[in-house]
Amino acid sequence: MMIGIVIGIAALTLIVAVGLGARKRVMERVQKFGLENIMVFAGAGRELGQMGVGEPATTLKLEDAEAIKRDIRAVADVAPLAMRQVEVEYGGKTTNTGLFGVVPAQAAVWDWDVVKGEFVSDEDMSRSARVCLIGATPRTELFGATNPLGEKVQIAGNLFEVKGVMQTKGTSPAGTDMDNRINIPLTTFMRRVANVDYLYAIRLRLKSSASMTQAASAIQTLLRERHKLAAGVADDFTIRTPTEATNVAARVAGTFNILLVLVAAISLIVGGVVVANIMLISVNERRREIGLRKAVGARSRDIMLQFLLEASAVTLAGGVIGILLGITSAKLLSMVAKIPTTLSWASILIGVVFSVLIGIIAGVQPARRAARLQPIEALRS
Amino acid sequence: MNDLMIQAQDITKTYGAGSSQVNAVQDVSLDIRRGEFVALVGASGSGKSTLMNVLGCLDRPTSGTLLLDGDDVAKMPDEDLARIRNRKIGFVFQMFNLLPRASAQENVELPLLYSDLAHPGQLARQALEAVGLGNRVHHHPNALSGGQQQRVAIARALVTDPEVIFADEPTGNLDARASYEIMALLQNLNTQGRTIVLVTHEADIAEHARRIVRIADGRITSDRIVEQPRSAEQGLKGLPPGGDQ
Repeated sequence: MMIGIVIGIAALTLIVAVGLGARKRVMERVQKFGLENIMVFAGAGRELGQMGVGEPATTLKLEDAEAIKRDIRAVADVAPLAMRQVEVEYGGKTTNTGLFGVVPAQAAVWDWDVVKGEFVSDEDMSRSARVCLIGATPRTELFGATNPLGEKVQIAGNLFEVKGVMQTKGTSPAGTDMDNRINIPLTTFMRRVANVDYLYAIRLRLKSSASMTQAASAIQTLLRERHKLAAGVADDFTIRTPTEATNVAARVAGTFNILLVLVAAISLIVGGVVVANIMLISVNERRREIGLRKAVGARSRDIMLQFLLEASAVTLAGGVIGILLGITSAKLLSMVAKIPTTLSWASILIGVVFSVLIGIIAGVQPARRAARLQPIEALRS
Repeated sequence: MNDLMIQAQDITKTYGAGSSQVNAVQDVSLDIRRGEFVALVGASGSGKSTLMNVLGCLDRPTSGTLLLDGDDVAKMPDEDLARIRNRKIGFVFQMFNLLPRASAQENVELPLLYSDLAHPGQLARQALEAVGLGNRVHHHPNALSGGQQQRVAIARALVTDPEVIFADEPTGNLDARASYEIMALLQNLNTQGRTIVLVTHEADIAEHARRIVRIADGRITSDRIVEQPRSAEQGLKGLPPGGDQ
């Protein structure tokens, strides 16, 4: 019975597919952050994707953003932003969300525009208009499926007209819901809502990702000068480049890889042990036959060859069936349970080859032992 | 061509060690000429089967020399011994030892698998015809009677045209009619010139041979020529009608 191999290979295929699918999804999320952008956070030690976490720092100003755009040539555009957690109310329903003060350049710099309606305009900025762009999560919470455009929501004591609905972005690599936010003009945020003059962060887009490291360095120098930080004093801001995001991604991928290798190894060992057992039983059951073959003139190597060929055939057939079973279940899983899977032919082939090898190696010893018996001893079994 | 087919000198076979040691065969010397029909006779446990297994190269003696058609087989390496078993010896067992999932022809072809003889299918069919089973070539053992299965086994033993046929209690599992048929077959083969060595505990079976060697407690106790061997053909005719086909 080759059922051991079938199950082992099927499990290996399925688990590796699920693992790779998960890894691919994480990598895709990371890549959504864009590779030519730099984030400058107010305060030290900020992590990418952790909006609204930690103490607010107050030294990053709108003027810093303007200086960066003006003085650093590698920078194509800047999008300063401020944020805080607020409660939003509409039609008797309330929800907690992140309120972001944004500039018109935000849409381009973040590659994140509205899917309905219009983004914040220069006119909104100059008038400190009470308009807002609602993200997918609060939109669903407050409006369900109805069209929110033109409706008025209450934010921090002010009534804002919904001017647009933001595109969905999903979950950040750090696990936060990026769609749980409402964007309003930065000027409105600073003057009417929060009454502050400092920013939460500045996101900037470079003209080319090639100048990433120099740009980051230039920004650091500029801000330290503007904030009058003496040598030896730590930055009161944090600069985050995509290299760090990719490093995080690489670490995550590395962890996944270890997990996958572990699972694969276990599957293969289990499959191999099962095959080895089957081979042992098979050889023992057929000692009489081996004795007979020796009695009519088979040499030890004839016996060995016979069993090796049989082991190969059985493990190969089992491997093929296992692969088909694994692929089918992976496809079923992604269609029915919406679990992403990515098939890896390399791992499957390695798995099959390994199982065949283990089966053969396992079969060799008992076959050799039986083949070495005197024919009459084997015939007596 | 060697006149002496088997030359055994001081053959001893022991099992176990120390206090549990058993001397199954002790200091047996025996010569068998080409074309003889020898029966090794003894009670159960006398050592006759053990001696036969050694002479037939299915087992190695603990000590002594053994020449088969001039080859020193007692000390021959296993790989060369396999060739002897394939080409010079044909063995017939009490329990037939056929492969249950193979046809009669496939069973008879088995020794040819390990030889370099051409046209195995043809040789197998010819052997089956020689034992009277030309029309049962594709039958599996479970579709054959005991006597027929033993005849397939004899065909298998003959297929490589060996020098000696060894038969260990070939009629032990057969009824009277089938037993006579098998003995008739063996006598026929001997008349055609083949050397036959038979092991049996039954005196009337032994009387079909032309020389009887008695064994007791691992030693030869007597060795005599049979003046008038029984004819199995006659024995068959003497049976009441009926029985298997």
